[in-house]
Amino acid sequence: MFAGGKMKAGIVVIGGGPAGLAASLKASEYTDVMLLERDELGGILQQCIHDGFGNFIFGKMLTGPEYAEHFIERARDAGIDIRVGTTVLQVEGKKIVASGSDGILEIETKAIVLAMGCRERSRCQILIPGTRPAGIYTAGTAQRLINVEGVMPGRKVVILGSGDVGLMMARRLTLEGAEVEGVYEIMPKPGGLIRNVVQCLHDYNIPLHLCHTVVDIKGKKRLEGVVVAKVNEAMKPIKGTERFIPCDCLILAVGLIPENELSRQIGVAIDSRTQGPIVDERMETSVEGVFACGNVVHVHDLVDDVTIAGEIAGENAGKYAIGEFERIRKGKVIAGENVRYVVPQILRGMEDVTSYLRVEKEMENVKLIVSGKKTFEKKYRIVRPAEMVKVKVNADILTSNEVRIDVKS
Amino acid sequence: MNDKKIRKRIEKIAKKISKDIMVRVENRVVYLEGRTNSWEDYLKLGILAGKIKDVKGVVNNIDYPGKKKMIRKQGGKEKVGEADVVIIGAGVVGCAIARELSKYEINVIIIEKAEDVACGVTKANNAMVHTGIGEKMGTLKQRLCVEGHKMYERLCEELNVPYEKCGMWIVLTKDSLKFKIPSFLANFIAKRIIPFIILRRGKKLGIPMKVVKRKELLKEEPNVTKDALVAVYSPTYGITSPYLLTIALAENAIENGAKIMLNTEVVDVMVKDSRIKGVVTTKGIIEAKYVINAAGLYADEIAEMAGAREYTIHPKKGATLIFDKEYGNYINHSMSLLRLPRTEHYKGGGVMLTVDGNIQWGPTISEVEDKEDTSVTADEIEEIFSMFSPLLPHFPRAVIAYFSGVRAATFTEDFFIEASEKVKGFIHVAGIQSPGLTAAPAIAKMVVNILEKEIPLEKKTNFNPYRKKPVVFRELSIEEKKKMIEKNPAYGKIVCRCEHVTEGEIIDAIHGKIPALNIDAIKRRTRAGMGRCHGSFCLPKVAKILSREAGIPLEKVLKDGEGSRLFIGKAKCLLEEK
Amino acid sequence: MSKAEFICIHCPVGCKIIVENEEIMGNECKRGEEYVIQEMKNAKRILTTTVFIEGEQRMLPVKSDGEIPKELIKDCMRELAKVKARLPVKRGDVIYKTSTGINIIATRSMEKKQE
Repeated sequence: MFAGGKMKAGIVVIGGGPAGLAASLKASEYTDVMLLERDELGGILQQCIHDGFGNFIFGKMLTGPEYAEHFIERARDAGIDIRVGTTVLQVEGKKIVASGSDGILEIETKAIVLAMGCRERSRCQILIPGTRPAGIYTAGTAQRLINVEGVMPGRKVVILGSGDVGLMMARRLTLEGAEVEGVYEIMPKPGGLIRNVVQCLHDYNIPLHLCHTVVDIKGKKRLEGVVVAKVNEAMKPIKGTERFIPCDCLILAVGLIPENELSRQIGVAIDSRTQGPIVDERMETSVEGVFACGNVVHVHDLVDDVTIAGEIAGENAGKYAIGEFERIRKGKVIAGENVRYVVPQILRGMEDVTSYLRVEKEMENVKLIVSGKKTFEKKYRIVRPAEMVKVKVNADILTSNEVRIDVKS
Repeated sequence: MNDKKIRKRIEKIAKKISKDIMVRVENRVVYLEGRTNSWEDYLKLGILAGKIKDVKGVVNNIDYPGKKKMIRKQGGKEKVGEADVVIIGAGVVGCAIARELSKYEINVIIIEKAEDVACGVTKANNAMVHTGIGEKMGTLKQRLCVEGHKMYERLCEELNVPYEKCGMWIVLTKDSLKFKIPSFLANFIAKRIIPFIILRRGKKLGIPMKVVKRKELLKEEPNVTKDALVAVYSPTYGITSPYLLTIALAENAIENGAKIMLNTEVVDVMVKDSRIKGVVTTKGIIEAKYVINAAGLYADEIAEMAGAREYTIHPKKGATLIFDKEYGNYINHSMSLLRLPRTEHYKGGGVMLTVDGNIQWGPTISEVEDKEDTSVTADEIEEIFSMFSPLLPHFPRAVIAYFSGVRAATFTEDFFIEASEKVKGFIHVAGIQSPGLTAAPAIAKMVVNILEKEIPLEKKTNFNPYRKKPVVFRELSIEEKKKMIEKNPAYGKIVCRCEHVTEGEIIDAIHGKIPALNIDAIKRRTRAGMGRCHGSFCLPKVAKILSREAGIPLEKVLKDGEGSRLFIGKAKCLLEEK
Repeated sequence: MSKAEFICIHCPVGCKIIVENEEIMGNECKRGEEYVIQEMKNAKRILTTTVFIEGEQRMLPVKSDGEIPKELIKDCMRELAKVKARLPVKRGDVIYKTSTGINIIATRSMEKKQE
């Protein structure tokens, strides 16, 4: 069947990962939805075979594929026009051009939900010197290779970066019989959740070297080893601390970047700190009728939060498409002391809102202060950059042109 | 200077560095033998000898502790082919020669040790098609550069290879002159005298150029440093894609009857009675009347095998940074910053546009011991930033890739192109460093002229100069895209999301005239994996397509030729071992 | 005399708990103590991994449908390296019964490749 050509849809959701699935499902309660996914439904969850997903939404620990399948089944039942293997090439206004083996789709829509997720920072983006042999992979690529494609990326592995993906891969590679020499982290604290440090590293006696980085890569055709070094407070390598580690595989878990090439094409304003679209509490971007959710907005720790954001975006895109949505952009949220970023960045100020924020540095016994029309305080035993802080704020505090959030002792 | 004078001169210099140096000069070629204490001294002697007037070549056989010895691989004993001409090396020069020779009724075989063409010096070229203005006057490389530049437009049109006359600024700033003179004088020299000299030189060589005042420059290029004083604009400066050009040259040569043998390394050159008889390769013997030595970094070793060595290659590395396409429009023309006096360390380079839309900075220049040293060091990265930040002070540091190339320089630093006098039928095409890419078509013509003196060359009547352009999905209009997908649904499947490369294009590359049988070969042809995610999404997909199309088990797919396996085995392979 | 160190995973504080001569120190709350006792007595984990699929290159994600004692996980991995699942499978289908008696179940549904 040739299913390409010109068509119309009430809402187009770009991306079929957890954010896009949730958005599509909610939006389908209002109007017809087309879901465009370049790969298969479920997105990155399909390669995250470990458990720990859905504690918040399902009350139990699911694996990535299980979590995804719950939504995929519902999306199929909801009559959503799902197009897998379909990549969006360009967006102009509300006209979308996508390409798949069915042909070129030219879709006119009323509302768009951006849910493209994020991508991994590469070796070059963090400027690791050295040669360019085979055997260097980002953690997500390695995860896909082992868990989905069924090939082993290496035998003796060094992992750079202790974010959750790096930690997961340390365990996964060990289980598959590889030797993980160690996990190296440039920061003085691990980048992932404590639970993952314990269950992925301690369980398997994998050493974690804080304040370390990779300063050289050796090997012509296949990786022969890396040089690691300690770093100083400015995160610069300290001369004399270099150590050569023979290995045939280097895994990089050095950060995720929201993937916003399409958002930029549409003209959506991007927050330089999150590197994602600036959104309000209904997940509407700076362009009317364009909504965004999930890791394309900011990198989340928990998929449950991605689903929740997807539902908000889907619901409001639905309302927008049927003309029951009023665009109001009133207040601004300021990331104050020890706050790296806050999402949403813009407030309509009409309903209660859950603010998501990341702190700059680890602090113990702190107060989170939301100051708007009124002031609201919440105490935290500990805050860490690795763990997103969620705080529910009542609407009456927010009805102000500027709301500021500080985290201080 | 005659041989004797040259020898005395070098002996005088050599004495200061090491007592164990023997100098021999024969027909203006210097042969250095003996020992030094270090690679640095070995290098110093070679460079000094190369600078002496009238020296044609320097063969530096001086030993030093840790010097790598040439190891010859085992050759095959069977005869596997014969040809009139064997070209050793499928870089841009070797392939340009092959294509030029394929215009004549003559049998040509190109021999390449790598799995693909353009894998050595060519691959890491900076893609600039120079005008020749920056080369030393009177050198062979300047002449061939100027000639080659004039041939480019037509060549790239015939071969359907990207070529853009992007133009180039030579910018002079307050810091361009590092002489110890008062600043008003420096300003005057920079603003008036240097542009005048450049312009005059351009006129002599037939290169159009114009002087542009600061105000106009800043209007045209608002992101350029406000410290700019004046600029010289060269509108005919061009850019191309070194590997796409080389692939196209090779494909067109093959279409016109030339043969290519990849994965084939020359281990000996057969000479009888001072005449070429053929080459011994890892695959077997190939009989030939003429051998063209276009072996790049290994040209000296090939010449040695033939007993016709007149030069030593000393590798010079250059590192380049590539930036995200998002900032591809940051400047309108390529640009370089003129700095005088020129130091060894800083030899031009610049901020370059590319045909792919990324901007690149570089290259650096440094002597290296190892011909295969393509590492990029932290110092080189820093150096590139410090070299060009003064030109574009606010350019975002959005690096997506970096690479190093190694230049195949001789100590005399000029091209070495001639028929060997010692061994009949052996033709040197050595010392081809920048501007070798630009000069390649002119080099090819020159080689044909050399051959013509030896054998009658008859033009083919059916030579086809055109090569069909491969499908490049991202360049098509929506209507064209629709048609392509209707014909073949594989053109609808985007594999590389950053560069919008489709499965169809990847399949085309795998089954091309020169099949792309590893990840990097596919990348060079299609750009899959060259975008900002650097292959983290598409690598598994490309590997799977390659595995399927070429019948290679997935776990055996290579990144870049022998020894570069991407994966160590199937999943669970390590569990079975234990 | 024995000494062991744990990091409690119950909340983001991540208390470092030291157990020396049966004395538990360093936990800020009761849950830390419970965690350590469980870990010392019988540390168990859910195993999530993959198995081969008959006639296909890709892998099927699976998990143990109950917790497995930590020290048995490696043996279990080796055992599973020999398993080949047959498609189609539904999420939750038992793919294999391990020698420890724990079932290995599919964590996603999968159809045969149509290509």
